[in-house]
Amino acid sequence: MFGRAQDTHLASRAPRRRARRRAAVSLVAALALGVLSPAFASDPPPDFRVITHPSRPESSVKREFLADALLKNITHWPDDESIRPVDQRADSAARRHFSETILRRSVQAVKTYWQQRIFSGRGVPPPELDSDDAVVHYVEAHPGALGYISGNVPIGKTKVLAVSP
Amino acid sequence: MGSPVLWGTILAAVLCVFPSRRARADDTPLTQLPDVHAFVSQGFMLSSKNNYLTRSRRGSFEFTEVGLNLTKAITDDLSVGMQLFMRDLGPIGNYKPQFDWFYLDYHFRDWLGLRAGRTKLPFGLYNDQSDIDSARVPVLLPQSVYPTTSRDFLLAQTGFELYGYEPLPFIGALDYRFYGGTIYLDSTSLNAPGTTVTDIDVPYVAGTRVLWHAPSPLDGLTAGASLQLLRIDLDLLLSPDEVAGLKQAGVVPPDFGDTFKYKLPAFLWVGSVEYAAHDLLLAAEYSRWRYDYKIRPEVVPDGNITSTRWYVMGSYRVAPWFSPGVYYAFFNTGAKGPDTRDKYQQDFAVSNRYDLTPNWLLKLEGHYMRGTAGLSSALNSNLPLGELARDWTVFMVKTTAFF
Repeated sequence: MFGRAQDTHLASRAPRRRARRRAAVSLVAALALGVLSPAFASDPPPDFRVITHPSRPESSVKREFLADALLKNITHWPDDESIRPVDQRADSAARRHFSETILRRSVQAVKTYWQQRIFSGRGVPPPELDSDDAVVHYVEAHPGALGYISGNVPIGKTKVLAVSP
Repeated sequence: MGSPVLWGTILAAVLCVFPSRRARADDTPLTQLPDVHAFVSQGFMLSSKNNYLTRSRRGSFEFTEVGLNLTKAITDDLSVGMQLFMRDLGPIGNYKPQFDWFYLDYHFRDWLGLRAGRTKLPFGLYNDQSDIDSARVPVLLPQSVYPTTSRDFLLAQTGFELYGYEPLPFIGALDYRFYGGTIYLDSTSLNAPGTTVTDIDVPYVAGTRVLWHAPSPLDGLTAGASLQLLRIDLDLLLSPDEVAGLKQAGVVPPDFGDTFKYKLPAFLWVGSVEYAAHDLLLAAEYSRWRYDYKIRPEVVPDGNITSTRWYVMGSYRVAPWFSPGVYYAFFNTGAKGPDTRDKYQQDFAVSNRYDLTPNWLLKLEGHYMRGTAGLSSALNSNLPLGELARDWTVFMVKTTAFF
């Protein structure tokens, strides 16, 4: 009986050893790959993420569409809903990254663009909100809203859009 | 003093009533406060040998601009706006406030919008921005294509405008505007010693501007063309001394009254190219302006004159607070005869813009000029332009605060 019990005990330990071995092998492999290939290491958060109202059907947008929407050259989504763009403060890191990557202009150049529009009567810039949280709240509350936030902040009920070149 | 006081009262009242807009999470177009923006500029100009735009040889502070605008979205597609503007630039402006622009704008689609009211003329890349010091590096835009002394003729029209923006598959986007209406001209600004403009009318102004924005990877490249047609009719009343002089010289018939009637149809066009990416701006424009003239009684045969105007310009934002720039501008009046100094003007300008804070800037600018075609006899002791110094310089300092 003891022997049977011991056998049973030994039998029950064998899968655990195998599991530990597999885990150890996986860990070593992961570490090795992580050292050898940065792509397998944990990716840093992106500089910014583009978010929209959860009711929008899109899962991605083209960079040029995004630039036109934030510069108010385009004011409607393809289904004719109004785009409500929202911007961040000029000194925010997310805005700097967004401006250089998506608009292909510095924040200063974009501000100059809006000076031209404001004083020639061609339009006003999107609202500039003070924080990522404020942008998330704005986008949650406005159907058709489109904004961006830092890469590592919670997105609330908003929807993240992939950006294609 | 009445005008500045009125202007100050309007400014103070508006700023008290409408605080600057702050977005809230529950904003909708109707609950948002109007957008309020304003700028105040003061400059100083000093020139050698010739007076330019103002009495600049002795140094002049008559170089002031103030603007205040309100914009309000009523719905997502309907908005209204207006801007009050006043300036003083030598003999021009004299602090008289005026509506720079006002409109109602209905945006049917991105490819079709309609504006009614007084709208800025989209001529070339920068005509509708020529008053906006904060929107560029140089103090003066190239005067060959954007002459500030012709601001009344070129800046805004009252009527309608159709506009649109259309992304095109693979080939970028088109930005277009078509307009038609009239231009309000203040006849008193055209008076000269011995002559008075008693009636002035612009029966029509019409035109278009089409800009093409290149697709990626040429982001920031824009090319386009603008056309403008207009006609100016004016009656010029001469003083008795002037009439007597002309009769004595046999220029006018003995039965001439005291008024010349002018009809001045004009056709202007400009071709434009701009590259604006990251912190770099490069631009070039070439333009020709044709004026036909008919004067009754016919003291000179009916005819026309075509001026040539172009420039190349570049600037680079070296640091967020510092942007140097440079341009070369050329203007030829197109007048027949030998190529004397009064027929052309070359302008080589170097500018430095310092952004002292996000809402306050300072500019320093130097010009080396050759030719006198852009000068005013009235500001230079009524001497003929051909007798003024051919080579001369201008130095400018200007500071602008804006929000």
